[in-house]
Amino acid sequence: MNDRFGLGWRPELAAGILSNLDRIDVVEVIADDYFDAPKSKRRALKTLAIQVPVALHGVSLGLASSVPVEPTRLEQTARLVEETRPEFWSEHLAFVRGAGIEIGHLAAPPRTVATIDGTARNLAAARTIVGALPLVENIATLIDPPGSTLTEADWTRDILAAVNGALLLDLHNLYANSVNFGFDPYDFIDRMLQEKIHAIHLAGGHWIKAKSTNERRLLDDHLHDVPEAVYDFLEYVGTKTSHPLTVILERDGRYPPIEVLLNQLDRARDALRRGRAKRLSEAA
Amino acid sequence: MSAQKLEALLAKLYVDDQARSRFLAHPRREALNAGLTEDDCAALGKIDIVGLELAAASFARKRASLPPRKPRSNLTRWLRRR
Repeated sequence: MNDRFGLGWRPELAAGILSNLDRIDVVEVIADDYFDAPKSKRRALKTLAIQVPVALHGVSLGLASSVPVEPTRLEQTARLVEETRPEFWSEHLAFVRGAGIEIGHLAAPPRTVATIDGTARNLAAARTIVGALPLVENIATLIDPPGSTLTEADWTRDILAAVNGALLLDLHNLYANSVNFGFDPYDFIDRMLQEKIHAIHLAGGHWIKAKSTNERRLLDDHLHDVPEAVYDFLEYVGTKTSHPLTVILERDGRYPPIEVLLNQLDRARDALRRGRAKRLSEAA
Repeated sequence: MSAQKLEALLAKLYVDDQARSRFLAHPRREALNAGLTEDDCAALGKIDIVGLELAAASFARKRASLPPRKPRSNLTRWLRRR
């Protein structure tokens, strides 16, 4: 079993990552940061990919949409994939624009048959232009997507089935949605075909309040430590899966010393190992 | 097309404070004006108002944190790649 554990590549973490490659198996690079980058920066990414396995992570394609993805955006991804030769690339099950309006972040589309069909078409286009399907990631949302007719689990599972795709399961996004909208996160994990889970994201967040009602919701902000529940979910995933997983810790600000993040990776290793051991002992 | 119109209206509600205020005052009228179906109008009538407020604020913070994007000519883009 060769599970891999790594960090999101951020300039603020670069020195810490490069000086601890004995404890980091893989880094995840935000693809969009390189689309318009000067050649020197893209060359640096190629050099990084020689030193450590790299995964590319897209944030702006807006694949989960009934609107066709723009081919030029996929062509940018294709060029970067060709140059970098990542272990895999990934994108979110999100829409990010509509009728020319850029939302500026990941938004959950209505979970309907129409957006399943649109997402499947967009993923097929991505496979054609980039040469490989992205792993698709479940996103966190603060709003229950209006017009939805399907649960998040059914919608996600149906998209994966439509394209024979694989999942980047973000466990903090799952945690946030489960506490914000009152569903069982373990049931969500159970409803995914286990062989479709190829990678895992870990992150943290904080509670925010609506001004109008004081109602609280959990915001996935990547600025806080990984909560206990997320390690519990990872252990549970370990009880369900037998194939190697890539586990990435995402941190986008309020950076602690690198040792803190490495300790969180160690906790993730322990959690997945415990889950694997439980699975083996139950099977014996 | 209906699904695309719904996504377009949602994008507008997430980024445009005035459009969101108009919508919250008269959701059905605004949904009809956006060309949505009866089913979509009904769904928007039951919109998660707290979620809309929080999501719009969160998206606004994200947009504010993004570096400004300057339009570049093809020549500039080509030169940067050298």
